[in-house]
Amino acid sequence: MSIGIKDLPEENLFTAGHTACAGCGAAIVVRNIMKVLGENTVIYTPANCLLVFGATYPHIAWKVPYHHVAFENTAACATGMKRALNTLGKEDTTVVGFAGDGGTADIGMQALSAAAERNEDIIYVMYDNEAYMNTGIQRSGSTPYGAWTTTTPAGKVIKGKELFKKDVAQIILAHNVPYVATASVGYPQDMLKKVEKAKNMKGFRFLQIYSSCPTGWRHPTDITVEIANKAVESGMWTLFEAVDGRMEITHRPKERIPVQDYLKLQGRFRHMSEEQIRILQNWVDKKWDRDSRLEKALKMLDESTD
Amino acid sequence: MFEVRFHGRGGQGAVMAAQALASAAFSEGNYAVAFPYFGAERRGAPVLAFTRVDSKKIYRKTQVYEPDFVVVLDDSLLEMVDVTEGLKDGGVVVVNTRKKPEELALGENIKVATVDATGVALEVLGQPITNSSILGAFAKATGAVSMDAIEKGIMDIFGNKIGMKIAEKNCRAAKAAYDRTISADGRPREKEFEKKPKWLPDVKELPIGGAGVKMETNAGMIGPGSFLENKTGGWRTFMPIVENDKCVACQLCWYFCPEGCITMVPYDNNRFKKGIAIDLDYCKGCGICAHECPTHAIEMKR
Ligand SMILES: Cc1ncc(C[n+]2csc(CCOP(=O)(O)OP(=O)(O)O)c2C)c(N)n1
Ligand code: SF4
Ligand code: SF4
Ligand SMILES: [Mg+2]
Repeated sequence: MSIGIKDLPEENLFTAGHTACAGCGAAIVVRNIMKVLGENTVIYTPANCLLVFGATYPHIAWKVPYHHVAFENTAACATGMKRALNTLGKEDTTVVGFAGDGGTADIGMQALSAAAERNEDIIYVMYDNEAYMNTGIQRSGSTPYGAWTTTTPAGKVIKGKELFKKDVAQIILAHNVPYVATASVGYPQDMLKKVEKAKNMKGFRFLQIYSSCPTGWRHPTDITVEIANKAVESGMWTLFEAVDGRMEITHRPKERIPVQDYLKLQGRFRHMSEEQIRILQNWVDKKWDRDSRLEKALKMLDESTD
Repeated sequence: MFEVRFHGRGGQGAVMAAQALASAAFSEGNYAVAFPYFGAERRGAPVLAFTRVDSKKIYRKTQVYEPDFVVVLDDSLLEMVDVTEGLKDGGVVVVNTRKKPEELALGENIKVATVDATGVALEVLGQPITNSSILGAFAKATGAVSMDAIEKGIMDIFGNKIGMKIAEKNCRAAKAAYDRTISADGRPREKEFEKKPKWLPDVKELPIGGAGVKMETNAGMIGPGSFLENKTGGWRTFMPIVENDKCVACQLCWYFCPEGCITMVPYDNNRFKKGIAIDLDYCKGCGICAHECPTHAIEMKR
């Protein structure tokens, strides 16, 4: 039996009193992941919301050792920490880097790719709130098409981001690492299972976790989870995992809802024209089709090499 | 020269107020600058903004440490922040509160003015956004700028950002607040804030590896888990009310609460049943628990 909500301990290794905005999805994700990982864990966070709301001198919400160096080197620092622990004979300690989407899809990509190539024995968690939130909502490579941010404003000529979301999980999958998965704040069972699986494996493990952000996405604080559910039900977010490259979609919506049902809950998409919504729907349909084909192909590839 | 420090919470529009005040002073022929405190402020967390006004060009680029005037947009801050820190003797502090100036203990050699800016904003704007009303109170209490100038400032800054119609409404709110501002007569009360211990260790005083060392200081806890000292319950506008009769102990709210301030507890009326308890010291009132509860056992109330 895999882990479920009711198996989680009562104690928080990421405590209350932290200063995330009310309704922050990332806070939910991190708090619960720590319940699975347990005390024998050390954490690295680069510059991002989590760094600030989880530790601002003199206060710290982490109850496990925790480290911060710079924005671009999550994977490199986690690597160093893991190797140092190994040297000290503490091989069983889990080392986790928690980075945002800006710190992963953009500025952290180089160190991340290198650590994946070397198959370092670390867990890398990308909590994806689809923009640089800590510095006031700038677009990242992970910001979806059409979204308003302060650097992709919605005006008469340009209406939000004109480029599409970068698929980071697939990039890491192409590195042939032991474990790659996507998860979401809205699917507890699915996320806990994946974190537990990652914890019990060796080598490079990567999780990209959908983390709604009421402040940056302009949505009421109480629908953080509902939005995450609609993201998956509409196909905007695919939940999958890949053990040794064998990709499997872990939650298939019975019938995908129109992407419009997802967009209309959030201020960041409010300006979108029908044409833009059509373009985004088309992108989602293609992505879903591609993800489904990839799943089949990667399974087949595996059988043929056995 | 006069310098103003605004205290607000992230999302209350302290920066816009500071800008509108600068614009107001500019319209009266002064030089003026406005700027926020640089930091990573989250919604609801205490923030600062500053305005500096002079008849000459302004070369001072620092934050304002010794203000002539202080503006407080939210009276729940009075317990957490030393709002009159550095306020010059004879300086004025303008507070958005329902209380009378005499009820506030903010210091002896200063003047206190209060206004129910939230009440005004609810009446005039239909929303509890107080960054315009408080400027009317500022004009009245300090006399540093005229009410006419405040209106110009609001039309300039608010008009640009949110449109002329809404800016006009905000002018009306400022005027109403101007009329309702009360200044203290009688001796201001001794400051109570200073009686609380201040934060002590500075980075140099911490032991090496200080972030990993749990330590009790006379100002409180530091090290792992010490954020527990930061009671975030003050951020809340809506409060979750629980009916444990309806709770089925699914633990969804317990899982989804971003603060982790919900615990599963034996339910009093029925010892064999579990219910939830919410630690209001930390609950920020996001409403996720109420929204996710499958049996509607939680309701958000004002
Ligand atoms: C080298 C460097 N560039 C820029 C910054 C400023 N900075 C701090 S946090 C941040 C945004 C982080 O965005 P993301 O990784 O998406 O995390 P989020 O804040 O959205 O959770 C930026 C740009 C920095 N700290 N270091
Ligand atoms: S800006 Fe978004 S991600 Fe950052 S703390 Fe606020 S809600 Fe969380
Ligand atoms: S309202 Fe939000 S912060 Fe308060 S108990 Fe519910 S989920 Fe937690
Ligand atoms: Mg981000």
